[in-house]
Amino acid sequence: MSKEKVLSAQEKRILFEINGEKNTLYNKKNRAFDLLKHVQGEKPVIDIERGLYFTRSFKTTEGQPLILRWAKALKYYAEHAKVYIDDNQLIIGRIGRPGRYGILYPELDGDILGDAIKQLPERETSPFNIDPNDAKIISEEIAPYWKGKTFHEDLIKALTPKTAALTYNQDKDFTSRFIVNETASFRSSIQWVHDYKIVLQKGFSGIRREMEKKLNELDEFSPVDQTEKKPFIDAVITVCDAIVLWAHRHAKLAGQLAAKEYNTVRKAELEKIAKICWQVPEYPARNFREAVQSQWFTQMFSRVEQKTGTVISNGRMDQYLYPFYKNDIEKSLITDDDVQEIFDCMWVAMSQYIDLYISSAGGAFNEGYAHWEAVTVGGQTSDGNDAVNDLTYILLKSKREFPLNYPDLAARIHTRSSQRYLAEVAETIKEGSGFPKLINDEEVIPLLLSKGADFEDAYDYSVSGCAECRMPNRDTYTSPNAYINFAAALEMTIYNGHMLKYGDELIGLKTGDAETFTDFDEFFAAYLRQQKNFLKHAFIQQHEIIRLRAKHFASPLGSALHKLCRDTLTDLHQPHIKGGIDLGYFEFIGYATVIDSLAAIKKIVFEEKKATLNQVKKAMQHNFTGYELLRQRLVNAPKYGNNDHYADEIGRTLDREALLFTRQYSKELGINLDLRYVPFTSHVPFGKVVSATPNGRLAWTPLSDGSSASQGADLYGPTAVLLSNFATKNYQYHERAARLLNVKLSPACVQGESGTQKLVQFIEAWRDLKLWHIQFNVINQDTLIAAQRNPENYRNLLVRIAGYSAYFTELSVDLQNDIIARTQNEAI
Amino acid sequence: MVFNIQHYSLHDGPGIRTIIFFKGCPLRCRWCCNPESQNHYPEISYDEKRCLGNEICSECQKVCENNAIMFSSEGKAIIQRDKCSNCMKCIAECPAKAYKKEGIEYTADELLDIVEQDSIFYRGGNGGLTVSGGEPLIHGQFLIDLLKAAKKLRLSTAMETCGYADYSILKQTAEYLDTILFDIKSLDNFKHIIYTGKSNQVILNNFESLCNDFPHLHKHVRTPVIPGFNNSIEDLQKIEDYLKDKPAVTYEKLSYHRFGVGKYKTLGRKYPMDD
Repeated sequence: MSKEKVLSAQEKRILFEINGEKNTLYNKKNRAFDLLKHVQGEKPVIDIERGLYFTRSFKTTEGQPLILRWAKALKYYAEHAKVYIDDNQLIIGRIGRPGRYGILYPELDGDILGDAIKQLPERETSPFNIDPNDAKIISEEIAPYWKGKTFHEDLIKALTPKTAALTYNQDKDFTSRFIVNETASFRSSIQWVHDYKIVLQKGFSGIRREMEKKLNELDEFSPVDQTEKKPFIDAVITVCDAIVLWAHRHAKLAGQLAAKEYNTVRKAELEKIAKICWQVPEYPARNFREAVQSQWFTQMFSRVEQKTGTVISNGRMDQYLYPFYKNDIEKSLITDDDVQEIFDCMWVAMSQYIDLYISSAGGAFNEGYAHWEAVTVGGQTSDGNDAVNDLTYILLKSKREFPLNYPDLAARIHTRSSQRYLAEVAETIKEGSGFPKLINDEEVIPLLLSKGADFEDAYDYSVSGCAECRMPNRDTYTSPNAYINFAAALEMTIYNGHMLKYGDELIGLKTGDAETFTDFDEFFAAYLRQQKNFLKHAFIQQHEIIRLRAKHFASPLGSALHKLCRDTLTDLHQPHIKGGIDLGYFEFIGYATVIDSLAAIKKIVFEEKKATLNQVKKAMQHNFTGYELLRQRLVNAPKYGNNDHYADEIGRTLDREALLFTRQYSKELGINLDLRYVPFTSHVPFGKVVSATPNGRLAWTPLSDGSSASQGADLYGPTAVLLSNFATKNYQYHERAARLLNVKLSPACVQGESGTQKLVQFIEAWRDLKLWHIQFNVINQDTLIAAQRNPENYRNLLVRIAGYSAYFTELSVDLQNDIIARTQNEAI
Repeated sequence: MVFNIQHYSLHDGPGIRTIIFFKGCPLRCRWCCNPESQNHYPEISYDEKRCLGNEICSECQKVCENNAIMFSSEGKAIIQRDKCSNCMKCIAECPAKAYKKEGIEYTADELLDIVEQDSIFYRGGNGGLTVSGGEPLIHGQFLIDLLKAAKKLRLSTAMETCGYADYSILKQTAEYLDTILFDIKSLDNFKHIIYTGKSNQVILNNFESLCNDFPHLHKHVRTPVIPGFNNSIEDLQKIEDYLKDKPAVTYEKLSYHRFGVGKYKTLGRKYPMDD
């Protein structure tokens, strides 16, 4: 077996642009590694059971309340779906065939399913295989039922032509235009995290009892109680029964396998599994192992229920599992090694479910089979104390010793985080796989409070999905949101409402020909009009999405696990739930691309007058071919990410204008629609529709990601990157949310104990600057070689030399070779 | 006069630091990896890797009043340094920033403004300002004022020095230092003169005085280990023996590297160790 190489998250991201995904792990002996060997590297396969059983059930429940139909479909799935127990696995419950698999959610975009499955095996981004018989079932049984019923089709009909023109191509499948991009058609919920604690403490039998009590309390003469509340209660009861039934089928299978098993060790394991599955998730967990199994059944069944964006999150595992761990350890029922093995088994199980996106937009947003099932560690307890415990350290250790890219791990940091915790977080980052990402309590908690949360809920938030945060029993907003390509707005400012890709079609506003602008302020104002127009249509989209989702989706399981839903007997997908806080958002994509382009125009065109705007436009039209001299001037103008006031001030204005828009209009929608800078991998497909930009970026190449600097534009090190990020934020407005920030460091920068300490100091500075998110990349030598070949993309790569650090691309070729060779020696 | 300000420095004093590199040095160490630091006046460096070549661009040649710029057969610029008047016009005109001015004048306030912008990174690990060079001590009163003002701002301060300076200047700066990084290259005066151009007597006398006057100041002594100069076991042992009873001293050997070779070319000079 060939030894696979560990890639940093950064390298993966770079590879996204070239290949597909590669899984990474060490070749080490243990149960989890053995399990993993069986599933590594194969192309995922589509499993049709979820799509099929939902379709069959829905055919029989037409006209009934939606939430009840959903619960019945889940029950039907629980009765009919094949159940599996993998050889040697301790944590069981999968929702697709052995190996890596994806499942179908035809209620979302089943209208394009028929065509899509033909393309999926060959798709460039995140391809999937499909069995020919299954393909037949999809095109003959599943897809036809959903034609005319999907959310995707309804949303297309609802949008006005102007909004639609920014949203979809006018082709047969209404594919995404990647300008004002809706994401509600490829997922029924944005990232979400359940209150798993209630399952561990009460079991689904406990939730069922609560609902039976509510049923008795209904007013038998009230039309609302009888037509809205009763179906909700029936649905929750049905779904409680469904998941218990599903677990019991696993228990039976485990018993059958145990009876046939000759290996006495495995036989005992299977008998234990059977016992566990009879207990959880129906009843409260009695020990750590049962707690993990109960959580696992719950999250897997939740994946059957609906397609949650980025995959359903795991919440604060070191908190809700801790009482079980503590009890088992105190009674010597379990060791830390056992705990780690159970976790590792869970991570392997996780790595087999692949988040399948049927649409090309969904695939492109989540390249490389992306997933963010965030496990949160650290942070504060609901009474404001440091929350770190022994389980926190086991989770970090598991990530260091079992460097699988599952699960996504998030560490909460606050001002009283202990030195040991910070150092272990730093040590884990140094592993170079990009984990954990860090989320800052000092930014998140005040913002949650400002939006109406109580302290106890705010302190207890979970990281959810990529960079978002959720209060499991307080958050109530699940509508997927717009990703907005503001580099396209910039292009439209240059071409007076047009884009090169779309020729004569007028997509944006007519804000004037390039030659008519006499100073930078005029040009900037024209850009801001285009920006505002995008926001307008994003909010129109959102308004329709909120309205339509309640008619298309229901979440009986998610609602069963939410206190406010249970209290008010309201489904989680309804637009408003009493007592809830609605935290939605919209994404600013291409932030640094736009800042740098505006700064270059200001500097080169209007201040230094080295070129006219028309000349810049012409150079852009030619993708700078024949205009290298002008391009170099633009490339060398001030750039975001260098703690340079010139560029940062433009960034702050862009940020402020977007905040002011949402301050004014999100009230009308009745929600908090906050400004974020979190791209997933959308900056890649978004870049593919944007021609050359005035910052010197070539046509169709990726935009800048998140709130990071443009590729290679930050020249003064990571401290300057953080300071620019700080300087472009408008701290006086609370309409802001996550900013994703990638920082690259070479392994030698963080070498040894002193390297760990300096990384901790850097993290502390990030925390004190009140930035929301950060993740680090530690670099392999392949990257150095690539940097040597293609220096412009790697200008910011810092390398340790000898007693000092320097920028790799500024070194002579000889020295570069020297360092490449030396790094190789270090690696051996 | 400063030739570089480096942020996020991790290896020159405690914590995360910002280094101000002063221009001008009394020594001419043959292995010097920062040739742009040696002269005390501004110079033009030229990096041909960045240059677009004269097929696309000859902006530098057009603005040069002394006809000091020619192009090689590969289209890269050749600066005839004897004709160059250091007017720096080529630097302003170059679109690709292949030309760079080595040596910029700052006031102490300007420098400290820059250093203070990074102050949030200093706190956790006692990081702060490091002055380096070249040789910072040749800047005399300016350096003393700078360090004094840095102390008023409660910045942690460190200085890298070759030790070759007027002791009264060294003494006055040491009043405002938390750490001094002091080079002792060789105890053999003859070799010292050959390889650095100067006697080590001044340096060793200064070190003795420093130890007497500032017994509590942390003195981190460093020796660059250079083949053919001081890399014998005896030479290095002599230095370690010499330091044995000195107060508040830590010691580190830095290994020889040739990372500055390319820089000599950008300045139109020859690397002295290239034989």
